[in-house]
Amino acid sequence: MTAIVSIQNATKDYTLGKVVVHALRGVSLDVAQGEFLSIAGPSGSGKTTLLNLIGCVDTASAGTVRVAGQDTAQLSERALTRLRLHTIGFIFQSFNLVGVLDVFRNVELPLLLQRTLSAAERGKRVLALLERVGLTEHARHRPNELSGGQRQRVAIARALVTRPQLVLADEPTANLDSVTGQNILDLMKELNRTEKTTFIFSTHDARVMAHASSLVRLADGKLADTTTNHVTAPSSPSSSLGV
Amino acid sequence: MSGGLETFEVVAQIAVRNLLASKWKTLIVGGIIGFGAFLVVLGTSMLDSVDHSMSRSIIGSVAGNIQVYSTKSKEELDVMGGFSMEGSQLDPLSNFSEVRKVVMSVPNVSAVVPMGINGSLVMSGNTVDQALSRLRETVTKKQQGDTSAAVAETYVAEKDHVRQIVTVLKGELENVTKLLDSKTIAGEETSVVTRAAAPEFWTQFDQDPLDHLEFLENRIAPLATDADMLFLRYVGTDPKVFAQSFDRMSIVDGKPIPEGERGFLFSKYTYEDQVKLKTARRLDRIKEERENRKVKITEDAELTRMARELSTQTKELVLQLDAPKTKLFQGKLQAFLKSPETDVGKLLEKLLTVTDQNFDERYAFFYKELAPSLELYRVRIGDMLTIKAFTRSGYVQSANLKVYGTFAFKGLEKSPQAGSLNLMDLVSFRELYGYLTADREQEIAALRAKAGAKEVTRENAEAELFGSVAETGTTGTTAEAGLAETELATLAGGSKRRLTATSNYDPRQLEEGVFLNAAVLVKDDKKLPQTIKDIEEAGKKAGLPLKAVSWQQASGIIGQFAVLMRVVLYTAVLIIFVVALVIINNALVMATLERVRELGTLRAIGAQRRFILAMLVLESVVVGLLFGTIGALLGAAVVAALGHSGVPAANEVMMFFFSGPKLFPALSGTNLVGSLVIVLVVSVISSIYPAWIAMRVSPREAMQAEE
Repeated sequence: MTAIVSIQNATKDYTLGKVVVHALRGVSLDVAQGEFLSIAGPSGSGKTTLLNLIGCVDTASAGTVRVAGQDTAQLSERALTRLRLHTIGFIFQSFNLVGVLDVFRNVELPLLLQRTLSAAERGKRVLALLERVGLTEHARHRPNELSGGQRQRVAIARALVTRPQLVLADEPTANLDSVTGQNILDLMKELNRTEKTTFIFSTHDARVMAHASSLVRLADGKLADTTTNHVTAPSSPSSSLGV
Repeated sequence: MSGGLETFEVVAQIAVRNLLASKWKTLIVGGIIGFGAFLVVLGTSMLDSVDHSMSRSIIGSVAGNIQVYSTKSKEELDVMGGFSMEGSQLDPLSNFSEVRKVVMSVPNVSAVVPMGINGSLVMSGNTVDQALSRLRETVTKKQQGDTSAAVAETYVAEKDHVRQIVTVLKGELENVTKLLDSKTIAGEETSVVTRAAAPEFWTQFDQDPLDHLEFLENRIAPLATDADMLFLRYVGTDPKVFAQSFDRMSIVDGKPIPEGERGFLFSKYTYEDQVKLKTARRLDRIKEERENRKVKITEDAELTRMARELSTQTKELVLQLDAPKTKLFQGKLQAFLKSPETDVGKLLEKLLTVTDQNFDERYAFFYKELAPSLELYRVRIGDMLTIKAFTRSGYVQSANLKVYGTFAFKGLEKSPQAGSLNLMDLVSFRELYGYLTADREQEIAALRAKAGAKEVTRENAEAELFGSVAETGTTGTTAEAGLAETELATLAGGSKRRLTATSNYDPRQLEEGVFLNAAVLVKDDKKLPQTIKDIEEAGKKAGLPLKAVSWQQASGIIGQFAVLMRVVLYTAVLIIFVVALVIINNALVMATLERVRELGTLRAIGAQRRFILAMLVLESVVVGLLFGTIGALLGAAVVAALGHSGVPAANEVMMFFFSGPKLFPALSGTNLVGSLVIVLVVSVISSIYPAWIAMRVSPREAMQAEE
């Protein structure tokens, strides 16, 4: 399997006022296509920073970060944006739906930004995804009419609508109760299996980590531990889609 | 790129929904923009209308579209007179028909009206003078041997009137002395009046009327200060062409000056304001103010003052009363006021002590019962008016002109600016200004022969009188004129008034003589700048020193008024929009900061910066267009309403600017479109900084955990 993400000795420093914060201190990591990778670690360990580098919303201070074969340090702001649009899907901890748009429009948004598909094609794809996440009936609802779990499922649909090679999820279940969180994870895993989409998600919840096909632990900006096939994912007991 | 339209759609959707989501911001920003658009539409519409009506006032009254005068003039032409009453110092142009031919050769010109504007003092009739001159005439008749009963009766009546006047003056003088408590000041006057009021004076009068008359004329008449020096501004022109060219002009009383006749037309406004009996004028003014402005005498300082003057300044009336009239007034006033008072002066004072309650009644009584027995105007239509003017070379020149009537400009009846200009024939104007007609030259020659003046050749005269060659084409006339003025000044020393020998002139004289400026009327007023150029060009070709200016320029400060108002309005609009810019900018920045997560998310999922920019600018444009349209439509509605009901002119000056008592503003498409354009520009500019901030929101913002 080819690596969708390849990180070599990446560091990231921030300056907060006069203090330099070393968020990442030399991380190397390869993520193969189709993985269901969990990045774990306590707060401040560099999870979000690493995710930002992979998600092309930030670039490394040193070292190289390759996403879908492209060195992000070499790309312009516009090219990075294009890379995000076409290659990466995002799922956020607090869902980040556009409040003024309905569910259908929220899911359709990345396709509209891509400007490659016709309205009919877009509609077909959006509706198929909404069916997949079980929100067909809520297509015309606004996000504030939905529950947290439903919102995150909209976000998942939005992340997948462009058929990205890679989906990044930043603490996707942190704002959900455990049952709903479980359902969301099951959905992500199901999609990982059927769509062969690579999922990378950060979490500090041990139950969530248990679902990962690989686990990366971060501590103080460094890789503390890498476990592959820590738990064999497909054998997970609950794979239903209901929430 | 098939999704272009849909992308715009979603941008628009986000934009509009965002506006709805943050209503307070939208309302504040929209409110300011709407108010701005409202103000622009209303302000520019009002101004355009004022500009339009004022241009009608100025063009239609005296200026015409273009004014032509000599390039050699020392001053710029100001037909409205600005703040001074004098005409502008213009170099005369020598031959009107020549200039007219040249100006008319420009295709857009439809008419040329010759003019000269000047002002001078005019002695209006003094009641005492008039009474004395009537008495003198009767005395002369008697002395010439007329012993008819009618003459004897007139003599007695007129003598009584003069005696009455002396009594009034004596009483007044006593009051003044009491008030001032200074016998030295009024000492001599008192002795003079006491002498004239004494019964002996009048018994001796019959024996030696001429000596006594002289005493009265020289010593008593000057004490009666009701003789007013009128300052009249007048335009000398071809009355017929003037009336044809300025179709807003109409005759109010009397008739126009007949062709080829010398004559004077009072502007109705001047006639009412300055020539009318002051008491009557004050009554008129109070009535007008009460009716137009709905103010009370007791509440308005101006009216209170007028009412006080009305009751205290009755002398002008009393002096007009001879014995029979005194008796008549006494009876009428006693009955009306139910008063046993016998003194007519006191009765009149009582009558004219007006309040808000009795005003209408008193006004009606005055006009119905008293006015028919009074001379309401100091100069009557048909009277001869003596105008004395300083010529350019400094001599006093006088002309006696028949007052044919009064005129007014339609819509400007109440305007002091338009109403200050009276009208006379150009031939008389030239004389008053220092140019002579052929007739007058002959007359002067005769006078000179009579006075035994030595033969003076023209060349000598020039050398002697001016020491330089006169500058106009009519060299001879100028030289003669200077001479004539000297002679007349000498001759005028003895007799106060000199009648013009002939009252008519050859129309050719008017055509071919000098003039100061000319009004040019055009067919198409949109081509004004080109026509001005064409006229100057034609002048150059013909070797005439013609300077052409637009009516705005020719009407001085008044013409610049609209421009000034425009500057004021635009400055106000600019300030409002600068304030609006700051407020809108702040509101948008705040709104942007509230939306950091949303903007970050959009950026993270792949929206380019320009998408964010488009979205924010679109939001501003939508707000700008929506509220701008509402504001502009509101403004249009107000303009339409005002256009229907009219904006009343607050005072007489405003009437000139409004070209009538009310302004009816009209809406123009340009104003509407203009206001929307301004509003749009402001919206876009005010969204630049917030949009810049929004563009720089990092996609990382989406990753931050919610607090």
